[in-house]
Amino acid sequence: MKIFGKRLFQPRTIWIRRVVQWFFFLLIALIAVNHTLVENGGGIPFLSTASLHALCPFGGVVTIYQYFTVGTFVQKIHESSFVLMIIGFVMAFFFGPVFCGWICPMGTVQEWVSKLGKKFFRRKFNHFVPEKLDKVLRYLRYVVLAWVIYVTATSGTLIFAEYDPYFALFNFWTSEVAIGGVIVLAVTLLLSLFVERPWCKYACPYGAVLGITNLFRVFQIRRVEATCKADGACSILCPMNIPVDAVKTVRDHQCISCLECTSEAICPVAKTVVFNAGGIK
Amino acid sequence: MNLTSKPLAAIIFVIFFGGIAISTAMGTWVTESTKEAAVYTEGDFAGQSNPADIRGSYTFGDVEKNFGISPAVLAQAFVIETADPATFAVKGLEEIYAANEFEIGTASVRLFVAFYNGLPIDLSIDTYLPENAAGLLKERNLTPEQLTYLEAHTVPNPAAVPAAPEVAPAQGAESAPAAEPTPSVAASEASTEKLVKGKTSFQEVLDWGVSQEAIEQVLGLPMPNSLTKIKDFCTEKSLDFETVKPALQTEVDKVK
Repeated sequence: MKIFGKRLFQPRTIWIRRVVQWFFFLLIALIAVNHTLVENGGGIPFLSTASLHALCPFGGVVTIYQYFTVGTFVQKIHESSFVLMIIGFVMAFFFGPVFCGWICPMGTVQEWVSKLGKKFFRRKFNHFVPEKLDKVLRYLRYVVLAWVIYVTATSGTLIFAEYDPYFALFNFWTSEVAIGGVIVLAVTLLLSLFVERPWCKYACPYGAVLGITNLFRVFQIRRVEATCKADGACSILCPMNIPVDAVKTVRDHQCISCLECTSEAICPVAKTVVFNAGGIK
Repeated sequence: MNLTSKPLAAIIFVIFFGGIAISTAMGTWVTESTKEAAVYTEGDFAGQSNPADIRGSYTFGDVEKNFGISPAVLAQAFVIETADPATFAVKGLEEIYAANEFEIGTASVRLFVAFYNGLPIDLSIDTYLPENAAGLLKERNLTPEQLTYLEAHTVPNPAAVPAAPEVAPAQGAESAPAAEPTPSVAASEASTEKLVKGKTSFQEVLDWGVSQEAIEQVLGLPMPNSLTKIKDFCTEKSLDFETVKPALQTEVDKVK
């Protein structure tokens, strides 16, 4: 950050988050490749051969209806999806949607592409969509969520796989990938040049589910007004455009717990934007 | 209590992989299909496996597990030459019948299973069956509507495999003097073997002509879902399978 040409503060980043993101991206990519290799008689030893559907926590969400009414899983969904869904919920209950901000490879890829966008558009990046329109579009992912749950419950098949960019990302080399998924992935990556995490903001049904936990999670992002210098840095850097500097506690349904707004990263004042559990000393 | 990024990263790893480890220890970390077909949720067949849920990844062995039709019968119906029909994947049919004008694939197996077991299936879609399958089904109790559908949706067997009228039950076995039986003949023999074994289901005994009343008389209990394995039922109800088996075999032999 420069004032009158002098560098006063070097913005830090949550580097450990990048490490975790890389780890999960590589893990899922390797497993997806291994799945293909095994189907063709090869395979990487000591690595899971699970299909991508088996490793998707959202698969657990969409199969809930069928599981409790019929007692079986939706086609291609397995018990592991259910387990991952529960793990995702446990993490979200305590820390918010850390799955989105730290684990999900789809979010990671969008962030990588967005780095290019930041270079091209600088301060204009992530501020292309008019605020009013943006506010409305943010609820679109709940419409997607309702649609996915409805069509899955009524058809008993994983119709969302036909449009799922996450599935397309790790299956574009197989015959299983649907053209709809490839198109959605391509559009998402293109939009990532202009907007940070467009899929997460406007369409991701799993993000919609986890986002609800922002209303009641145990650990919250909090801003200490007494020491806050109101420089707006926290809001400017927030990938989800949340006005952190305007609230005491972030309860926005879009927060992904990336911690980039905290005093550990962009906020220049120590212990001013913190991630804490209010009641726990 | 404040939390910074490094402890949070550690917590994420612990919850994520710890959760998977616990689930593995509990036997709930399953990443492959158990190949269990969905059941009808309403109507007269509620609770029974629904053939519409058969998937391409099912083997003939999986179809047997769900619907009690032996892999040998399925191999015979779809003219599959293999030493172990139980391991044949349903999706393999599309490749075998690729040259056919009409598609024979997973939907064909669904139709065959539904007609074979007398289960309802949507007939508004055109699904085709090879001559062998149609021949086997005509020996079952099909409704006039099903028979009409079958007549209009039968296609020739694949050219590479001999059509199998000689493998029709009983007759085929007697009139096949060849030293080495073809896989199709072997399939036929397996399907005509009427022996009550550990894997035999009530449906098979019904198929062999034994009435439900006769079965219930042997059991001394109401018959469960027809796809239940007799041995499983005996274990569940604390009946001695070694007593039930010969008694049922006697009933089977009576109607042979």
